Amino acid sequence: MDIFLQQLINGLTVGSLYALVALGYTMVYGVMKLINFAHGDLVALSAFAGLTIYVQIFGEAKSSLFLVLGVFIITALLIAVVGVLLERLAYRPLRMAPRLSAVVSALGASLVIQNAIMLIWGPNMKIFPSNLFPSTIWTVHNVVFTFTQVMIMGVSAVLMIGLYIFINKTKMGTAIRATAIDQDAAKLMGINVNRVIMIIFIIGSSLGAVAGLFIGINYRGITFDMGWMYGLNAFVAAIMGGIGNIPGAMFGGILLGLFNAMISGYISSEWAQTFTFVLLIVILIFRPTGILGETIAEKV
Amino acid sequence: MKRTMLKLATSVVACGALVASLNAADVIKIGVQAPITGKYANEGQSIDNGVKLIVAQYNANGGVLGKKLEVVSCDDEGVAQKAAICARKLVNAGVLAVIGSYTSGATEAAQTTYFRNKVLQTSDGTSDSLTKHKYWTFFRNSFPNSAEAKFTANYLVNVKKYKKIVILSDFSSYSTGLADATVKAIKSLNGNVIYSGKIKSGTQNFTAVLTKIKSMKPDVIYFSGYYNDGGLLRAQQIQLGIKADFVGGDSNDNPDFMKLAGDSAKGTFLINVPTPDILPYDIAKKFLKDYKAKYGMMPASIWTLLNIDGLRAVLYGVKETKSTNTKKISDFLHNLKGFPGITGPVNFRSDGERIGGGYMAYEVQGDNSYKIVYK
Repeated sequence: MDIFLQQLINGLTVGSLYALVALGYTMVYGVMKLINFAHGDLVALSAFAGLTIYVQIFGEAKSSLFLVLGVFIITALLIAVVGVLLERLAYRPLRMAPRLSAVVSALGASLVIQNAIMLIWGPNMKIFPSNLFPSTIWTVHNVVFTFTQVMIMGVSAVLMIGLYIFINKTKMGTAIRATAIDQDAAKLMGINVNRVIMIIFIIGSSLGAVAGLFIGINYRGITFDMGWMYGLNAFVAAIMGGIGNIPGAMFGGILLGLFNAMISGYISSEWAQTFTFVLLIVILIFRPTGILGETIAEKV
Repeated sequence: MKRTMLKLATSVVACGALVASLNAADVIKIGVQAPITGKYANEGQSIDNGVKLIVAQYNANGGVLGKKLEVVSCDDEGVAQKAAICARKLVNAGVLAVIGSYTSGATEAAQTTYFRNKVLQTSDGTSDSLTKHKYWTFFRNSFPNSAEAKFTANYLVNVKKYKKIVILSDFSSYSTGLADATVKAIKSLNGNVIYSGKIKSGTQNFTAVLTKIKSMKPDVIYFSGYYNDGGLLRAQQIQLGIKADFVGGDSNDNPDFMKLAGDSAKGTFLINVPTPDILPYDIAKKFLKDYKAKYGMMPASIWTLLNIDGLRAVLYGVKETKSTNTKKISDFLHNLKGFPGITGPVNFRSDGERIGGGYMAYEVQGDNSYKIVYK
């Protein structure tokens, strides 16, 4: 039983990270019907920027949670700005172009960001100091969880609940949902679509930034090409949950993390990735729009 | 008449050789194929730096056979596809010998190209398969996995007397090869391997497989992969409260292992040939001093020094045979006996295997220094 609970904690930790990143994919897709392939690289960029901010500006001598919170806020703001710039430069000029052009532009943007990281920070692995969070470890009935894991799960949950409320209860959230359903109609109703898209990129990028920092703090080693691995997993999570659907991305991320942990733990770690994609295929066969995705009748 | 013909023929050949050597410019090109960027960048850069340092020293003393040496580097990123491209590039550049690559996978992918084009290659790759083709162009400057596996098995089973052994590897040809050889060697010593599994390099989260291992209550976890995964494995093992020793194969011997593992690095056992700083040879001390003076840091690990020995042996061969004919140099190197290397005497078997191999087990101390615990 304690092994099962431990796998649950393992899965929830990595699942929360996937969910945070998946939200960025799904929100952009929901509104713009565009897969933002550069999103994973924004996550990597955030880990590198966060490390530099922490070491250079604050100095790594002593650490307090207050200071780390500062690093999180500054990095999230920075990545939000990069996200908005990305939309302005790479996607907005192509908004009326065929969908394929925008996808190619997204792939290009991904390469640009990845190579920029390599040129600025170098090709070597960079390593986070271990003192950002206290190294407290709790053991309850043989089940171990660390302070960092609790922070990852807690902060992700708070952010996701906050996002859910924002989307469903506020005026801006309503505007986002309206734009997602029909951009032209939303425009006719007086919604500033450009502003909605900007907000989407700000939220998606800053959630990705939080995930990037958590990855750096929890796994320590960061490389310029790590965005690809986390991006791919999060993208799979978004599709599983139903791309374009916000609770779907959260659910998909957690499901993917748990599924991976359980397969690795009870069947075989060698086959975990294979089983993950089998699960994806099975889900798509039975629910082509993902688990929480809605079937919307095509307008004729 | 016959004799004059023969004389004539030899002199023509000699003339031809002379002309050829005159035409071949006044430089000898040495290739470096190493992962200068990517996951193993610090090893690759260190090898590249080391070769450049030695070449500069030779050139300062007038080069070899009166010719200057020139380094041509190619970055294979530790990836087989890139390695194949590098091999073509270096062959086209007209190199005499290639130093590298760091990983067995990248070395294997380039091996045949060098063999077909009669270019010498010396690599630190430890996969046993590297010498199975018996290419006369290939010289291993390190020691094969099978030698390390034997040492490791003896250390785990007979010295530390572990009763429940877990073996982990990644999917690379080097790592799986070392893990398989180690499992075989442990079984031949009647050791008890309770689990042997693989992790996917670079996935960072190994808690799932470690939790599974925790339930088996092992005495030791042996990992045959690279430091960038090994450091995290160790950190996550301690985090999950798995009370087993951690023994890392040779590729865990890198400063980044300690950084990734953090406080958990203490008490880790590493198995490798001697670390650079404890090599007893004067030439080793001189090399380290020169390297530090030029680059402001120590070489990344012993792998740089092993490759440098490969380079020094090749240059020694060029000098002794007074020739840049790779076949001649190769024949010379296959009969090399006790050439004083930075990492100890260099002797090659006829299949290019380096003879010898003094492995040691180290325990990582609190300040990340090493203590020799078995040799």
